[in-house]
Amino acid sequence: MTGSDHPANGLDDLVHQRIRLGILTIAHEARRVEFGFLRTQLDLTGGNLSQHLTVLETAGLVELEKGYAGKRARTWITLTKPGRAALADEIGRLKQLVARVDTTTTEER
Amino acid sequence: MTSDVVPADGDARRLLDDARGLARRVRVAQRVTWLPLLALGVVMFGAILVYRFTDPIVSDCRPDPLGGQVCRAWFLSAQIYWWVGLVLAYVVIAAGYLRVARDRGLGTRVRPYVVTGIALVVASALVGFAWQLLDYPYFPDTPPPLVTFLIRLVDASGATGLALLVLAWLERHVALAVFALGYLVVALVPINFGWGENWGSNWGMGPQLVINGGLLLLGSAGFALAQRWRRPR
Repeated sequence: MTGSDHPANGLDDLVHQRIRLGILTIAHEARRVEFGFLRTQLDLTGGNLSQHLTVLETAGLVELEKGYAGKRARTWITLTKPGRAALADEIGRLKQLVARVDTTTTEER
Repeated sequence: MTSDVVPADGDARRLLDDARGLARRVRVAQRVTWLPLLALGVVMFGAILVYRFTDPIVSDCRPDPLGGQVCRAWFLSAQIYWWVGLVLAYVVIAAGYLRVARDRGLGTRVRPYVVTGIALVVASALVGFAWQLLDYPYFPDTPPPLVTFLIRLVDASGATGLALLVLAWLERHVALAVFALGYLVVALVPINFGWGENWGSNWGMGPQLVINGGLLLLGSAGFALAQRWRRPR
């Protein structure tokens, strides 16, 4: 594999990050997720999560929908089509990286 | 804001593990396993009453060499009950899943499960009609074991087990898959403890329905308790 073929070269810095990858993973698995669930699962403050969501929304990877459940304001997060593609791409490249590391380790033994 | 960008190779495995762990937590949070078991168990017990208080359409009675007579019997009321009951159960289950998931701050996908359930009901109805159109093949003898097995697989009891297997696959829920397989064994292998032999034809289906329905209700209680214990307080 040449340097340009290395799976790390195709990683998107926007997604290759624990919190944002977590947001995309949860939104993909849940189809639709509420802000509070994300905050709890990712162990973040509301402000920190909001900033990550703004980055993802600006990039067109998620959509935010604000509404009410009774008197309580709720924000729902949905993955967009580019968001699904970005997640699939990131997971694919991470798997390639892991496979590459495993192969290298086996060859060195 | 924490940028938290990680070096590529070394942390790829950790990122993947984190993503898998989060996906698993979402699936666990979406589960309401007790609900389909309860709804289908209730439908199963309701069928006992329908068989008891309605009569089959009987025709072509012939003397049985072993004594008595053997007839063609079409349980039309029970058939209609199963179609309506199962479709209603799937509607209740879908609505319940969506509501519970929303309360927990999640969406959920119930369509594949509901579509499978309704497809199984339709398949069951088609087999019933085909049996009528073919004019009760093998009558007055018993169908071969393989045909009997396939008929049992698509009838209401078997279709319930298949639908539970699909739900287990959707939820990646090993315990439910094991339960569904156990249920299918019980539903497909005729169990005869000798109950009901002298209770008359209107109670004939009772014992098997009590066993199937009882198993579903016990499973529902078991999964509800397990979910309660596992949920963080």
